Amino acid sequence: MDFNLTEEQRAIKKAAREFSEKELTPELAVEFDQREEFPFELYKKAAKLGFTSMRFPEKYGGQGYGVLEDCLVTEEMCRVDPGLGVAVMLGTLMFPDGLLMFGTEEQKQRYIPPLCTGEKICAAAFSEPAHGSDITRMDTTAKKHGAEWILSGNKEFITNAPVADFFCVLCQTDTEVSPSHKGESLFAVEKGTPGLEVTKLQGKMGIKPCVTGSLALSDAAIPEANLIGELNKGFYYALDLFNGTRIAVAAEAVGMAQGAFERALRYSKERKQFGSPIIQFQGVSFKLAEMAIKIETARLITYKAAWLYDQGKMDPMTTAMAKAYASKVAMDVTDQAIQIHGGYGYLAEYHVERFHRCAKITEIYEGTTEIQKLTISRYLLKRILA
Amino acid sequence: MKELLVLAEHRQGDLRDITFEMLTKGRELSQALNADLTVLLLGHNVKGIAKKLTDRAKRVLVVDDERLRNFNAEGYQRVLSHLLSERKPLLTLVGHTAFGVDLAPSLAAELDIPLATDCINLGFEGEKLVVFRQVYEGKVNVRASLRKSESYIVTLRPATFEIEEVKPLGGEIVEIPSPPSLSDDMSYKRFIEYYQPPAGDVDITAADIIVAVGRGIRDVENVPVVEKLAKAFGGVLACSRPIVDKGWLPSDRQVGASGKTVKPKLYLAVGISGQFQHISGMRSSDLIIAINKDSKAPIFRTADYGVVEDLFKVVPALTDRILEEKG
Amino acid sequence: MDIIVCVKHVPETAEADVAIAEDGKSIKTTELVYDINEWDDYAAEEAVLLRDKLGGSVTAITVGSEEADSTLRKCLARGADRAIRLTDEAFEGSDSYVTAKILSKVIKNLPFDLILTGAQASDDGCAQVGVVLAELLGIPHATMVKKLEPKDGIVKVNQELEGGLEEIMELKLPAMLAIQTGINEPRYISIMGIRKAMKKELKVLGLKDIGLTEEEVGESGSWIIVEKMFVPSVEKEAEILTGGVDEIATKITETLKTRGLI
Ligand SMILES: Cc1cc2nc3c(=O)[nH]c(=O)nc-3n(C[C@H](O)[C@H](O)[C@H](O)COP(=O)(O)OP(=O)(O)OC[C@H]3O[C@@H](n4cnc5c(N)ncnc54)[C@H](O)[C@@H]3O)c2cc1C
Ligand SMILES: Cc1cc2nc3c(=O)[nH]c(=O)nc-3n(C[C@H](O)[C@H](O)[C@H](O)COP(=O)(O)OP(=O)(O)OC[C@H]3O[C@@H](n4cnc5c(N)ncnc54)[C@H](O)[C@@H]3O)c2cc1C
Repeated sequence: MDFNLTEEQRAIKKAAREFSEKELTPELAVEFDQREEFPFELYKKAAKLGFTSMRFPEKYGGQGYGVLEDCLVTEEMCRVDPGLGVAVMLGTLMFPDGLLMFGTEEQKQRYIPPLCTGEKICAAAFSEPAHGSDITRMDTTAKKHGAEWILSGNKEFITNAPVADFFCVLCQTDTEVSPSHKGESLFAVEKGTPGLEVTKLQGKMGIKPCVTGSLALSDAAIPEANLIGELNKGFYYALDLFNGTRIAVAAEAVGMAQGAFERALRYSKERKQFGSPIIQFQGVSFKLAEMAIKIETARLITYKAAWLYDQGKMDPMTTAMAKAYASKVAMDVTDQAIQIHGGYGYLAEYHVERFHRCAKITEIYEGTTEIQKLTISRYLLKRILA
Repeated sequence: MKELLVLAEHRQGDLRDITFEMLTKGRELSQALNADLTVLLLGHNVKGIAKKLTDRAKRVLVVDDERLRNFNAEGYQRVLSHLLSERKPLLTLVGHTAFGVDLAPSLAAELDIPLATDCINLGFEGEKLVVFRQVYEGKVNVRASLRKSESYIVTLRPATFEIEEVKPLGGEIVEIPSPPSLSDDMSYKRFIEYYQPPAGDVDITAADIIVAVGRGIRDVENVPVVEKLAKAFGGVLACSRPIVDKGWLPSDRQVGASGKTVKPKLYLAVGISGQFQHISGMRSSDLIIAINKDSKAPIFRTADYGVVEDLFKVVPALTDRILEEKG
Repeated sequence: MDIIVCVKHVPETAEADVAIAEDGKSIKTTELVYDINEWDDYAAEEAVLLRDKLGGSVTAITVGSEEADSTLRKCLARGADRAIRLTDEAFEGSDSYVTAKILSKVIKNLPFDLILTGAQASDDGCAQVGVVLAELLGIPHATMVKKLEPKDGIVKVNQELEGGLEEIMELKLPAMLAIQTGINEPRYISIMGIRKAMKKELKVLGLKDIGLTEEEVGESGSWIIVEKMFVPSVEKEAEILTGGVDEIATKITETLKTRGLI
């Protein structure tokens, strides 16, 4: 057993840290947090250096690393700024992963390279107004018409929707079959497809530079060849995909917690009350100790989940634990970071409140904490019965 | 008698301050050691300069040669290695300047004479030469000793020793011929010309109030934060070197050894750590105020007033306050 | 054009708390972050830019322990072709002179047209290694180089002097140039670069490989020996203005008013 990162992984972490610290400046973070706009320039810069294509094969313009290396970059970016970090790292969210696992060679060739270079951005549309945690049935349908699929329905809360060039969309292709999840399929849809309309969602609590929107599909026709993988396997594909992205969300959470913790630690050494730096008070130093414990354990389970994934031994239970635990840690630690800052922590200019607002999303997207616990308890149940 | 040599530094017909600073220290050392203090002057048509030096040293050795007209480490090294081998001075002082940094290490290596560079103080403890230096970006001082030898070379940090007022000593000028080795093939390194980058629109040396920004500003987009403060004061904006290196401000705004030397009534240093190369360009300002979030930053050793805070909080507040005051 | 660039792995101390270690002769390093010396970063970038323009190769060399590999990998990731690390227990306590000696022993057996180093290292600030190295190799040198143009066996350089003045010089190749900051804009390290860097050669050599004796290195071979490190006593310390931000602003304003500066 070896808990050390390899020399190469350390170099990746260092490069990501250097880039983040120089580029994800607090001023830029505050500006985009206020504007709620996608940081195109930053995304392209990061892409040119390879940070946004860590887990895609070199053959398609990616860097040929695994989920663990991807997590290292995510963590460093979110440590410096959670909003910009998430926005940059989610520009290549899920769609390439779906193509790599289930797509045809043509699909991979067409879509993955421009995503790696940062020219294009993608989105993954599963959630609907009426189906969030439960995607066993989709109201969005895809009907075969000649050599085309005709898509209709609404998708809600879709990351990158307002800026994406490519979407993968989960649709009901068989409305009769029971159980209904056996009738879902995954499609590749391009921006500009007639019948596809995108609306930007404003007023999110956090991760504001990571823009969100809804899709309205009204008889949007796409070529037959845009079906990803096999017909009616979409639900299973989605589950497989979540098993990768959930690890990335855990890494986001670890990074956010780390960033807020470092700010709190620095502040606690500078801020004096009753004649001494507040870190001298056990009430504060114990808080910091607890924060450190939480971050370290969250990081370990996140790396373990990533490592298992990269070994081809992906374990849904470890993954769910990592996501549920790390996101909880992010919430706790960013909360305590504000507490340590006292009244100043409540002000935007001290930044920790932004970390806290951003941290919340990690408990929600890619399956809420409750859904992670559902997964864990299902495995536990099986284990006891066996 | 033991000899202590000071290598005079001059450029374009003028002696540089470092020469006088070295003489201050040199005189003190020579008294303590009961040694002769000799100035060594290399150049061409340097009579005027030599004369000036006789005020401060009993002996001025002059090597006058067309080939020494402009500073060229190679030519200088040939003359010096000859002289040092012959005279075996106990100690040779050279400035830690562009000139000295180019010359001293190769001279020392050629003769295998122990060298200490960028010293802020030195002295003999019996036979032992002890030097003091600064390391880790001015945060730590070092006391070090040199390997026992009959000769040493030390380069002194500029703007560290005062220039003394002296009663002219009326020393003698001794012309010595250049050594034959100077005639050897000299085509390795050749001086072509001086180049003075064009002056910009603002002359910071003429300003009464200077607000200077350093690397603490993090990003070019933040420079206006400090610029506003400079404007509020009716002063000019200047900077430390990294700001010029990154192309965020033109080079004529740089304060320090390789930039401008300024003496305003108020010098406000914002996000500048205070490395000696910066300090040497602003230390004579009437009033120095420093804003830096690191309480251990060396700038606080030069400033009259210090603020240990995030510049992004203090500077806007101060700007508002000044504007309010001015109505 | 074959270029050798000498680099050093140093702690970042500009914004860190620096404390003296137990031995009184060094600083506590456990909490410090290490990286390539700032001046060397510019030198490494310049080497790669030249190689890309003129062809040839870039070899990055350091004297340092295993941790210094990350600085070499950084050079490789930036585009250097190979790297060499010189390390030995006997090197402990070496000064700049010995470092230059060690480097010269290795470099003299390598083909090269140009050696680049940083103008100084941010940790010891000695500004010696490059120039001593040039002397030991018997090649011309220039320091504080802000611009360089190699052509037909000659390199034309702008050497920075005090006060913004520059001196234009010509040197015969091979030559050693100590690079000043601002000569270029060091690029970010890319993931593509790291990927390639891991496949490039990083050779590690020790005392035996380079042909020096134990007496010639370490403290015994050095010109200068550190006796003590200490936090400088303050002859003059600024009066620190405290309070809330507005309070501080008012204090400054009042001070300036009494001096007639507002
Ligand atoms: C900023 C943002 C970005 C998003 N990006 C995307 C995206 O790119 N693509 C995409 O498809 N979706 C995206 N989503 C949607 C997200 O995945 C869903 O919001 C999430 O899965 C929860 O669904 P819901 O909002 O419909 O909540 P609901 O499913 O209605 O859940 C409400 C509450 O009930 C709980 N709950 C539900 N079922 C159970 C159960 N069985 N047991 C216990 N508790 C349960 C939930 O945990 C939650 O607390 C995004 C959401 C946000 C806020
Ligand atoms: C031959 C030679 C010539 C040189 N000539 C010059 C010269 O002419 N002029 C010159 O300036 N330098 C010169 N230098 C460079 C010099 O050695 C230093 O590298 C330089 O002065 C450092 O600039 P700085 O203080 O801006 O940056 P740093 O040393 O990086 O310091 C930045 C400071 O900002 C503080 N800070 C960071 N964030 C904040 C914040 N939010 N709020 C408040 N404070 C903050 C940090 O605590 C730190 O102290 C020369 C070097 C050499 C070798």
